[in-house]
Amino acid sequence: MGNEHILSSFDDDLHKLNKDLLKLAKLATEQFVSSIDNFSTQNIEEIDKLILRDKNLDDLDEKIQQLGFEIIALRSPQAEDLRRVISALKISTVLERIGDYSRNISNRTKALCELSSDDIPGVNIGKMGLVTQEMLEDVIIAYKDKDSDLSIKVRDTDVVIDKMNTKLYQEVLASMSRNKKNIVSGTHILFIAKSIERVGDYVTDIAEQNYFLINGKPLSEERPKADKTSLYGID
Amino acid sequence: MVSNSNINNVKTKTIGEIFSKDPKIICRNVDVFYGEKQAIKDVSIDIASREIISFIGPSGCGKSTFLRCLNRMNDTIDTCKVKGSISLDKEDIYDEKIDVVTLRAKIGMVFQKPNPFPKSIYENVAYGPKIHGLSSSKEELDFIVENSLKDSGLWEEVKDRLQSPGTGLSGGQQQRLCIARAIAVSPEIILMDEPCSALDPIATAKIEELINQLGKNYSIVIVTHSMQQAARISQRTAYFHLGELIEVGETKKIFTMPKDKQTEAYISGRIG
Repeated sequence: MGNEHILSSFDDDLHKLNKDLLKLAKLATEQFVSSIDNFSTQNIEEIDKLILRDKNLDDLDEKIQQLGFEIIALRSPQAEDLRRVISALKISTVLERIGDYSRNISNRTKALCELSSDDIPGVNIGKMGLVTQEMLEDVIIAYKDKDSDLSIKVRDTDVVIDKMNTKLYQEVLASMSRNKKNIVSGTHILFIAKSIERVGDYVTDIAEQNYFLINGKPLSEERPKADKTSLYGID
Repeated sequence: MVSNSNINNVKTKTIGEIFSKDPKIICRNVDVFYGEKQAIKDVSIDIASREIISFIGPSGCGKSTFLRCLNRMNDTIDTCKVKGSISLDKEDIYDEKIDVVTLRAKIGMVFQKPNPFPKSIYENVAYGPKIHGLSSSKEELDFIVENSLKDSGLWEEVKDRLQSPGTGLSGGQQQRLCIARAIAVSPEIILMDEPCSALDPIATAKIEELINQLGKNYSIVIVTHSMQQAARISQRTAYFHLGELIEVGETKKIFTMPKDKQTEAYISGRIG
């Protein structure tokens, strides 16, 4: 099958959609990586820049949604073309949300900067962020290369994030029990960890959408989950 | 008669489900030649009772030629030769004993361009029942005409001018008159060869709605160049290319996840 449509402007639209989506993926990754870096460095100036940059992601997502609707309305895409447009719309929304979570992480990091480092529980946010970053980078490669196996691998990696989040949750709660001065900072850290865990879930959504795009059917097997934080305190 | 044995034991290159649980027409290994040129190559497919099936494919792919085999319209072309078997209710339609006129009443046809007779609206519909002896009185004929025009969605628009010429109607109305004419002889199957290609979008929508309604009582085979039309109205879609039936399947599957690369190339507007 030739890859080009008889109507070249249809190809132009699809290329533009793909190009914008990859640009948004790059921006979302940069925002997420910066949010984790800023947590370590606590550079207020960088944090403020990151928060301002979030609007770029919102604007690009809006542009992608508009183009996607136009393609559906004007081109009536079929089969793989239709899956590509629908997937682009869904993935774009998810990337924009990853941007939102990166901003949330930054807002809470900024609050932590105001607190004494003695009153902050020592937990490994950086490692959890790094695993999530690798998942995010891999899922973008899987999208670009139409790699079904890599999509499944990314989805199945989410369980690692879940386990890290559960462990971190227990550690922060223990820290807060020991020292009440840690309650404010501990709560911010719990929300930061939850944001990272949610980014992991969103990456998983992209992986599943990517599988559907490539194979034309949903990834039906249930994905492994290990986030036990919602059950904490129940015997 | 076509034997029941081996009917579902046919070798085919076609992808998808060519068989139906309740077949009305059964086509097996059909070849069509125009002189030396082979226009249809080894096509096997069932047409089910009360199903709407679309034939799609690029110009010259053989979809209209194959459609015309189903009621022996190709008999009118001297150089045309049909091989293989086509049966209606398990009876070979190419058998010598078959009366072609009766066959074409059972398997009606609607063409690309509306072609009403140069007669009144009433006479256009009444002509078929008259020559086939389907009515024994004027009242009975009136009843058939009225019902056929109602079933074709035209009655309310023409009931007060039944004696006006059929050719004086709009294009869309003329096409619905032709459909009324086809259903007046109580067919079992209606073949439609691009029935909306000469109509505007409103007239097209009316014909499509009519096809949907008629599909409850008749099997309908429609050749269309509009893939959106095939997607809108048919339960199954068959894709033809260079005289071969490439793929057939549920319409929603064909348009979302076709199995064959050529089908995908065609429906998504790529160079196949």
